Amino acid sequence: MAEALYASSESVLDWIANQGSTRAVIAPRQGDDGAIRYEPLEPGDREAARGVLALAGPSLLPPGKLFSPPGEVLFTWGPAEDGSFRVEPRLDRAPRLLAGVHPCDLRAIHLMDRVQADGNPDPHYLARREATAIVGLACSEPCSERCFCEAMGSLDHHEGADVMLAAVDGRILAHARTPLGVSLLADLAGEPCADPEAAWARHRAARPEPFGRALPGSREALGRATTAAWSDPVWTRHTEACLACGTCNLVCPTCYCFDTRDEIDVAHPGCGERCRDWDGCMLPGFAAVAGGHDFRRDLAARQRHRVNRKFAYLPAAHGDASFCVGCGRCGAQCTANIDIFDIARDLLAGSPDDAPEAEVSA
Amino acid sequence: MTNAAVDPSLYLPRPARIVETFPLTAQERYYKVALGTPLGHRPGQFVMLSLLGIGEAPISISCPPRDDDLLEMVIREAGSLTRAIARLGEGDWIGVRGPFGSGFDLDDFRGQDVIFVAGGLGLAPLRSLIEALLADRGAYGRITILSGSRTPAAELYRDRLAAWSEVEGVEVIRLVDRTEHQPWKGRVGLVTEPIPDLAIDPRRTVAALCGPPVMYKFTALALARKGLRPERIFVDLERRMRCGVGKCGHCQINHVYCCQDGPVFRLSELSGLREAL
Repeated sequence: MAEALYASSESVLDWIANQGSTRAVIAPRQGDDGAIRYEPLEPGDREAARGVLALAGPSLLPPGKLFSPPGEVLFTWGPAEDGSFRVEPRLDRAPRLLAGVHPCDLRAIHLMDRVQADGNPDPHYLARREATAIVGLACSEPCSERCFCEAMGSLDHHEGADVMLAAVDGRILAHARTPLGVSLLADLAGEPCADPEAAWARHRAARPEPFGRALPGSREALGRATTAAWSDPVWTRHTEACLACGTCNLVCPTCYCFDTRDEIDVAHPGCGERCRDWDGCMLPGFAAVAGGHDFRRDLAARQRHRVNRKFAYLPAAHGDASFCVGCGRCGAQCTANIDIFDIARDLLAGSPDDAPEAEVSA
Repeated sequence: MTNAAVDPSLYLPRPARIVETFPLTAQERYYKVALGTPLGHRPGQFVMLSLLGIGEAPISISCPPRDDDLLEMVIREAGSLTRAIARLGEGDWIGVRGPFGSGFDLDDFRGQDVIFVAGGLGLAPLRSLIEALLADRGAYGRITILSGSRTPAAELYRDRLAAWSEVEGVEVIRLVDRTEHQPWKGRVGLVTEPIPDLAIDPRRTVAALCGPPVMYKFTALALARKGLRPERIFVDLERRMRCGVGKCGHCQINHVYCCQDGPVFRLSELSGLREAL
């Protein structure tokens, strides 16, 4: 079996659409409103699969959210004979294929795989993740004006994908990265590619440079600058317009904070389910305790926490240079036009010498 | 990717039956629940308590380590979950996950004089350590317990405070912020106020603190003035954990998950954590 193939776009779409006979295919699709969403594909619907090879983006929500869907059921409960209760975990191991995942989102999935496997592994995320094959699509051009994936080290991230696709020489290169990817490629009509690395080199050479927005410093420097800026006015400056809506958290591919909620089954007394909802550290009350004290009452303190998680806290805890992947979603969808890229640029530029120190209160 | 060691029961509460409950104050009730198997906890750890259909919240463990299957807690009516739990009685079932968190290590206290500073509900988790020390009295030095409450009626564990004060080498100093014309034989003032007058040998003294957020800075400062080094001061911090297993993000203090690395920290460990106190 071939590790890499050259195929036509039409063959690739047939291949993706036909995967639907063995596993649910989730693929990006542009809606009438122009927004891109990852949605289930009807088996054999090759026209709907076109989004897999489209270079527009990013999607409204990151594809990795598939592994922790909003409102997912963690467990169900019901009455037990002794008058107590019995609980049953809900683990979703349905086989899926997630297709058309861009490198920024692949890197986010790779980071979330690490977070969810570290310490106490999250069985619900991992069950879905392990049952899901991923076909990635390398980007030939920035998918939006907000993209800064190269600056965040995501542009050439392929780890986590079973097969990577890329436009090369007017054809599609399909490169298997895992044993599962090799077996998936058995169904793709194409010609063997003897030297995939040379093909990747030609793909990269055809890309614009710089790719997307560039930052004036490395990710390592950004991490240090973020830590050093604890009392910097940058946090206040970048929250003046903030509405605390939490959109930046919800659309971020590496935000995974949650809260739980119980749903009772009115028709079956004593039965119900505990559900998990996405939560966000920019929302009011996220760090509040029972007595009402809020450890991050101030919006600037919450912004500082969010940005520190991306550039300092999570990289230190889980080992990576940054947990921001440069997709541009938080800036594009922010209700107040606050862009983490601008914050990163300001952090790297450092505080102006004449700027007064502003201690952010809790 | 595969992970063979994934525990599917990470978020599953186990049934626990209330075997004893009574009010300690107008706001707080004492609970003793039977788990069926021993909890196997350390002092200072916490559990996630569920009432299915209502929700889940972190609750401090109030009893010292024990060999049987019982768990003791003090629960303040502070929200919908704790209000619903307050309506339960003996024989009713609740759900328990845990124990979670670092807790206190008894080795840090062995051979030492120990000062406890408890504010309000902070006495509930500190009891788990106080009674662990009293259970092996000879292994520890002098014990001083400063217990501060808002009013006389708000004081927790009145009988236990009295019993502890009867033990040789144990001094209990009870304080209230204000008496509100209620009978009171203790002192009036903040829980930090007796600290300057305590006879402390800073080379052989450790302190354990738990109370409302505002209490820690002032208490730590007062102890530091007595020469106590930050690595000899243990703080039991309050955060609103939603998962207890280092995932949900709610209890994060800078880069640290309070539910995993805490809730008990040495004060010296907090020097880089600017959001801690």
